[in-house]
Amino acid sequence: MHAVGGKILYVDLTTGEMRTEETTPDLVKEYLGGDGLAVKLFTDNMDPSVQPLDASNVLVFAPGLFTGLPVPTGGKCLFLSRSPLTGTIAESVMGGNIGAEFKMAGYDALVITGRSEFPCVLRVWDDVIDIKGGSPYWGMVTRDAQEAIRRDLRVSSVACIGPAGEKLVRYATIDCEDRQCGRAGLGTVMGSKNLKAIAVRGTKDLTIADPEELIRLDLELQNTMENSGAFMDDTKYGTGEFLNWVNEERGVFPTRNWQESVFEDRKEIDPYYWAPRYTLRSKGCFGCTKACGKLFVVQEGKYSGTKLDGIEYETLYSLGGECSNPDIEALARANEVCDLLGIDTISAGVCIGFTMELVERGILSTDDLGMECRFGNPDAVVEMSEMIGRREGFGKLLGEGVMRAASEIGNDVERYAMHVKGMEPPAYDVRGIKGMGLGFMTSPRGACHLRSGVYALNLVGKFWRWDNVDRFAAEGKGEQVKAMEDFMTVYDSLGVCKFSRGFFLIEGYIPFIRAILDEEMSEEEILQVGERVNNLKQLFNYSVGVRREDFYLPRRLTEEPIKDGVAKGAIITEKEMHRMLDDYLDARGWDNDGKPGESKLRELRLA
Amino acid sequence: MVAVLVSYPENCTGCRFCEMICSLYHEGAVNTKKARLRVQKPDIMNDIPLVCTQCITCGDRCCIDSCPEDAISVVDGVVTIDGGLCTACGNCKKACPYGVIWIDKTAHKCDLCGGDPMCVKFCPSGALRFEEADKDSYASLLTAWRDD
Ligand code: SF4
Ligand code: SF4
Ligand code: SF4
Repeated sequence: MHAVGGKILYVDLTTGEMRTEETTPDLVKEYLGGDGLAVKLFTDNMDPSVQPLDASNVLVFAPGLFTGLPVPTGGKCLFLSRSPLTGTIAESVMGGNIGAEFKMAGYDALVITGRSEFPCVLRVWDDVIDIKGGSPYWGMVTRDAQEAIRRDLRVSSVACIGPAGEKLVRYATIDCEDRQCGRAGLGTVMGSKNLKAIAVRGTKDLTIADPEELIRLDLELQNTMENSGAFMDDTKYGTGEFLNWVNEERGVFPTRNWQESVFEDRKEIDPYYWAPRYTLRSKGCFGCTKACGKLFVVQEGKYSGTKLDGIEYETLYSLGGECSNPDIEALARANEVCDLLGIDTISAGVCIGFTMELVERGILSTDDLGMECRFGNPDAVVEMSEMIGRREGFGKLLGEGVMRAASEIGNDVERYAMHVKGMEPPAYDVRGIKGMGLGFMTSPRGACHLRSGVYALNLVGKFWRWDNVDRFAAEGKGEQVKAMEDFMTVYDSLGVCKFSRGFFLIEGYIPFIRAILDEEMSEEEILQVGERVNNLKQLFNYSVGVRREDFYLPRRLTEEPIKDGVAKGAIITEKEMHRMLDDYLDARGWDNDGKPGESKLRELRLA
Repeated sequence: MVAVLVSYPENCTGCRFCEMICSLYHEGAVNTKKARLRVQKPDIMNDIPLVCTQCITCGDRCCIDSCPEDAISVVDGVVTIDGGLCTACGNCKKACPYGVIWIDKTAHKCDLCGGDPMCVKFCPSGALRFEEADKDSYASLLTAWRDD
C-alpha cells in the first residue's frame, strides 16, 4: 500500500513482548493516520478503568498519513494517551523528524503498554526493535539526551522526555529536535513507564502512486503558499505575528491571569520588535517549507547563552502577558528552561500567573514561596519554571496543574484557577470570542484552541463555510465548533500543519490523496473521518465519566466581564454557555449528557 | 565555469524537503537515506545542507580517484557514475568528504537532475542554489561539519 509504513507496532514494556499487525487499507480509509489512527488504536486497546499513571495506560505514537512524504507542511506526528492532567483522552502534535523516520522504518503507529522495571530507551531500527538501558540518560535535559542517544545508539531521530517527565510533573512534554508534544502531559505518561526516549532509524522506501503528479501538486501548493501574505508574515515573525492585533484590534490577549485582556507592556514581546533583533534564521518542522519557527539567541546580558526554537505565540502569552512579564530575554530563557526540563509552557505559565494573583491578593506570601513571585517580575518567571520542571519547593505543587494546586491551597482560590477539565487555557480570551469559549468547553483534552480552531474565523469574521461571523454572539456556534472540530481532526490525521488551513481547505487535499494513495475520497468522506474520530474520543471520555457538567468554563469567564480594551464588557453568561452547549450537542447528535447517540454511531459505522 | 549546487547553511530551515524530493524524483519513492544530498543537524544552532560539489573541492579525496573500476568521470561538468562499470565496492562513498553518495546495487550520486535541480526548486529559503561557484564557496562547509 502507498504512503504507509505498512505495520503497527505493539510493545509491552512490562514483559518486553513485541508484535506487529498489518496496516489495512480499510483502517487507512476510515482513519487516515495520525490522530485518527491513534484514537482507533487507543480506544481498541484501552480499558477505561485504567488510570493515567497506571502501568497499563496505553500510549500511542502515530505519524500522519502524509508524514514523511514531500507535501508542504505535512510532517507532523503525535502522541496520544489518557492524560494525567485531565483524565481524558488527549493527543499532542509535534513537527520533529521522528514521525517521518518511524514511517521509513516501516510503521504507521506504535502502541506502548506496561512499565519497564528500569529506565529504558525503545530503539526501532527498521525491523530490529530492542529495549535498551536508559539509565545513562535519566536526568538529562531534552537536548543533551537526544544528542547522546543519537550518538550512542546510532539512530537518526530521538523523541525524549526531560527531568520533568521522569519526576511526573503532570504537564511534561515529549521533545524531538526542539519541537514538542507540549500539552496534556504525554511526557508524564512516558515517565511513568520509565521510558526516557524512543530512538528510530528507518531506511525503507515510502511509495507513492503517482510521483510525477505529486511533484506537480507540490509545486502548485508551494506557489500558492509563497504568494500569500500570511506566508511572508509567518516566515518572518513566526506564530506571534498577530500579537499586537489580538491586543489592540481585538482585545482578547489574556493578561495577569486573565484579569485583563490587553497587555500594555507588550512592546518587547511583539515579534515585530524581537524578530529582527534576536532571530538568527527561520526553522521549520520536518517537511515544512513555510518555516514559522525562529532560532532565537540571546547574546549578552543576564540571560546570555539562551538559544531556542521559538518563541511561539502561546508562550508569549503564558510566560509573558499572563505573568505580566515584559522582558523578552527573560521570557526566552523561561521558554528554554521549559523546553530543556520538558514542561508545557502554556500550563507552566498559567500556574505561575495563578500564583502571582494569589500573592497579589495576599492569599499566598512571597515568604511561602521563597521568591518574589509577583506580576511584572521577569526573573520570577524563569525561577519558577525551573522549580516546576525540577519539582522543587512550591514548584512541586504547581507541577500538579492549576486545578489540583487550587484544591490543595483551598481558601476558595478555585475561582482564580483557569482551566477546563484540568487543562490550562491558551492565549484567547474567549469572553470576546464566544465560539472559542464553546471550543474550550467541548475539546476532549480540556481548554484548547487547536481542536476546533474557531478563534481564527471568529476574530477575522470569515473562513471556509462562514461569512460575517459575529464573535460576540452565542448563536450558531454549536454548528461551527462541531464542523471545525471535524475539520481540524482531518489535519491532525493527515499530518499537515494547521497553519496551512489558510492556503488550503480540505478539498485542496483531495488531489493529494489521489496522487499519493490512488484513492478517490470526497470532501464529505474526508470530513466524516474527523467526525468518526471525535465521536470515538467522546465515547471514551463518556466511559470515564465525562458528563455535561464537565463541559464548562472557568468561573472568571462567566462572572467577570472583560475590563479593558475594545472587547470591554464582553462576558459569556451561564445561560449562553448552556445554549451554546445545547446547540453543539444537537449538531453532534449526542444526548443532553454528552453521550453519542446510536443513530449517529451507526451512521459513522461505529456501531 | 559551470553551474553547480551551492549550499548556504545560514539560510537553511532544516525542513529536509530537499532530501525527500531528491529521492522521490530519482527513486520514485521517498527515502531520505537515498537522497543525493543530506542535511546535517549537529545541534540546535546548525542545519547544514551537504551537497555534491561536482569535484570542485574534493581534491585527493574525490570519488573519481577512489574508484578502482574507473567508473566515475566528468561528463559535461557533472561527475557521473557509469552504473555498468560500478561494482558497488563502496570506495567512492568512503572517499566523498560530504557523504552524499549512497549505495545499493550500484553507487548513486547527484546528477544535477539533468540541469534543473529539484532540490533547488523546492528549497524555500535559498539555502540551496544552482550557480557558478569556486572552491571558496564550499570551504566553510567542510570546516563547519566533517563526517570522518
Ligand atoms: S530544502 Fe532548503 S531549507 Fe529545507 S533542509 Fe533542504 S536546504 Fe535546508
Ligand atoms: S560525490 Fe562527493 S567526492 Fe564525488 S564529486 Fe561529489 S562531492 Fe566530490
Ligand atoms: S540536484 Fe538533483 S540529484 Fe542533486 S541533490 Fe539536488 S535533487 Fe538530488
